[in-house]
Amino acid sequence: MIKKILIVDDSSVARKILRSCLLKDQGYEFYEAGDGQVGLEKFKEIQPDVTFMDLTMPVMNGYEALEKIMQFDKNALVIVVTADVQLKSTKKVMALGAFMVLNKPLNKEDLQDVLLKAQKILHKAG
Amino acid sequence: MDTRQDEIISDEEIEILQELMNIAFGKAAADLAEVIDIHVILSVPYIKILQATELLDYIKDEIKDYNNINIIEQKFWGKFKGDALLLFPSGAGKKLLAILEHEEDTTYESDPIDILERETLMEVGNILIGACIGKMAELLRDVVTYTPPRIIVENFPHNAIPGKQYDPNNTAVILKTVFRFDEGDVNGFLFFVTSHESIKWLGEALHKFMEQYE
Repeated sequence: MIKKILIVDDSSVARKILRSCLLKDQGYEFYEAGDGQVGLEKFKEIQPDVTFMDLTMPVMNGYEALEKIMQFDKNALVIVVTADVQLKSTKKVMALGAFMVLNKPLNKEDLQDVLLKAQKILHKAG
Repeated sequence: MDTRQDEIISDEEIEILQELMNIAFGKAAADLAEVIDIHVILSVPYIKILQATELLDYIKDEIKDYNNINIIEQKFWGKFKGDALLLFPSGAGKKLLAILEHEEDTTYESDPIDILERETLMEVGNILIGACIGKMAELLRDVVTYTPPRIIVENFPHNAIPGKQYDPNNTAVILKTVFRFDEGDVNGFLFFVTSHESIKWLGEALHKFMEQYE
């Protein structure tokens, strides 16, 4: 079951949008970070089931944070949520180990579909 | 945020605008990458709201180290309407050309602008302004039309900013960013100068945009 969700994005508006797109009755616990560095620290501390990661952030960008998270936990489920819709950027984050890439602005159906896929992976892993 | 900015647009509206600009700039970068086959590294855009009459002093301060500047200007009309100004230090066109042609940039800022550089700036400006304004309009359920881009080249930056032509009640939305490419960086500033009515509409449209996520 997905319980702990970490949202890493420098925009409080983007974090609010993401939370609002998730089903309310699933009992999710939300954790938030405003940059990649804090996101990485929170990831290590709470070990979330799923992490949503923006790419363009101050202090530490999403690429670096993703890379470090994957080094810490190679099974981490990191969903990149970004305004950067360039194919090269998508390829780069997938190569770094992202589970999926979602483009901003978020679509509720896409987001819930990705979470369902993440849920299946977690279920298989036991 | 200074008092005047707070009077024009609220903190909450600025934050929503920042996120929408981020999305719009992402679209602009993707369009540019597709047209000229380069990878644009997105940076966090900085947004500031000023009275249009303050724009000239703001830009002069930002570009005080530049001898020459190039501005690409496009007017746009919709519920959100105004002037879009994309400002590059001179030499940016040559730098962009060098990036596009994968050649070493051996020119200097003081070199006169040539036709190829002018066309490159116009094309890049057209793509960036069109994608930024167009995406923002789409997100806010507006439709905009544009004039063709025109380029202003000046030896004296303060001559190039058409600040004096603006109504003192108009508002300037500044989006400052650095266009970074895998092959090198180009500094750029994007400004929208818009009317009081447009800003009022923008504020309402930003709240409506967020309503779908309540």
